Amino acid sequence: MERFIADLVQNLDSGKIDRREFCKAVALAAAVYGAGDAAQAQAQRGFKIIGVNHLSYTCPDYTKARGWYTSVLNMKSEPTRDDGKRANLMFGPEPGKGGSFLVTRNPSNVASGSAGVKQGAQAVIDHICYTIPNWDEARVRATLKAKGLDVTGRDGSLHVYDPFDYDVQIASAAAENAFRR
Amino acid sequence: MEGFVAKQVHDYQNGKISRRRLVEILTFVATTAYTGKGALGAEQSGLDAALVNHVSYTCPDFRRAADWYSMVFNLDQVGGSARDVALPFGKKGEKPYGVTDDDVPLTHMICRTRPLGASGNGPPRRKANAVIDHIAFTVADFDRERAKAQLAAVGVNNVRDGGPFSVYVDDPFGYEVQIAGLGVTAICGAEARTTCSDTR
Repeated sequence: MERFIADLVQNLDSGKIDRREFCKAVALAAAVYGAGDAAQAQAQRGFKIIGVNHLSYTCPDYTKARGWYTSVLNMKSEPTRDDGKRANLMFGPEPGKGGSFLVTRNPSNVASGSAGVKQGAQAVIDHICYTIPNWDEARVRATLKAKGLDVTGRDGSLHVYDPFDYDVQIASAAAENAFRR
Repeated sequence: MEGFVAKQVHDYQNGKISRRRLVEILTFVATTAYTGKGALGAEQSGLDAALVNHVSYTCPDFRRAADWYSMVFNLDQVGGSARDVALPFGKKGEKPYGVTDDDVPLTHMICRTRPLGASGNGPPRRKANAVIDHIAFTVADFDRERAKAQLAAVGVNNVRDGGPFSVYVDDPFGYEVQIAGLGVTAICGAEARTTCSDTR
């Protein structure tokens, strides 16, 4: 990477590329560097899942949900995508590098290409569980209590309800792991 | 990112920093900007959600659902019981993509069949006034046209474009699933990636 950037600087100095091209090249190099592992990991056939990209959460008041998830789970609202009807709440790794986001939206807001809330679906995602790293039982329970939440569940795997009574599970790696069921 | 780079170039061209320093700064930024935790820095009082641990998917026939998700996304089924089964997003021992913490397991999906109000061992679940109306999965090396061909090859019909960088499908129970590439992020949505890059 250092050699690549040094060459870019040389090209900038010698006038082979302009400043705008230089900035774009560095930004692109960083993105490619970050995404390289995923591309290498592609399976030969079918899809290779990297993770949950996003969850589309429709509720009566997205601002209320936005407030709750940013406060309780430290999600970060992306300001450029908050249009007064929805907000993108980021969590986990950086965007484009394995990070996920929760889209909180009002009923009138539907993603492009999406059917929105479908009455005919026979399936439902009845809860989402989030992993909390460095789990400390006392700290987690105290944090949730300080937010005024009623906590149920067992040590390492707790449940709370968000403002719209959606079931949110919060768990440690030890308590919730597909290979330890 | 580009704004930051432009500022460094400006400083370099105005003699504020040396060429060597410019290279050092940009090398550091380029190799850390998209890896691991961001420097959010702010004092926080909540809990840091690192990743989705699992998605609990309830439907009339969990085996049928699990087989469909296994087929479409090449997922193994583990820990099955008479009422549910887990589908981890990777193999045992693998680390989730992009995660630096050592105690964050692979995300998994639990396909289950149970009454809607039922929960594990706790009291009945409240009736929610909110819904996860669709879920989007990130897949490696996404290409929309190739994705359509792959879906057609395994018998998945009713594929809809979700902008240039994703597609929507319905699973066997009519639940909407979006399949997207890494480029679909909270900053750059699937439908507006080009304009997004202009406004960042």
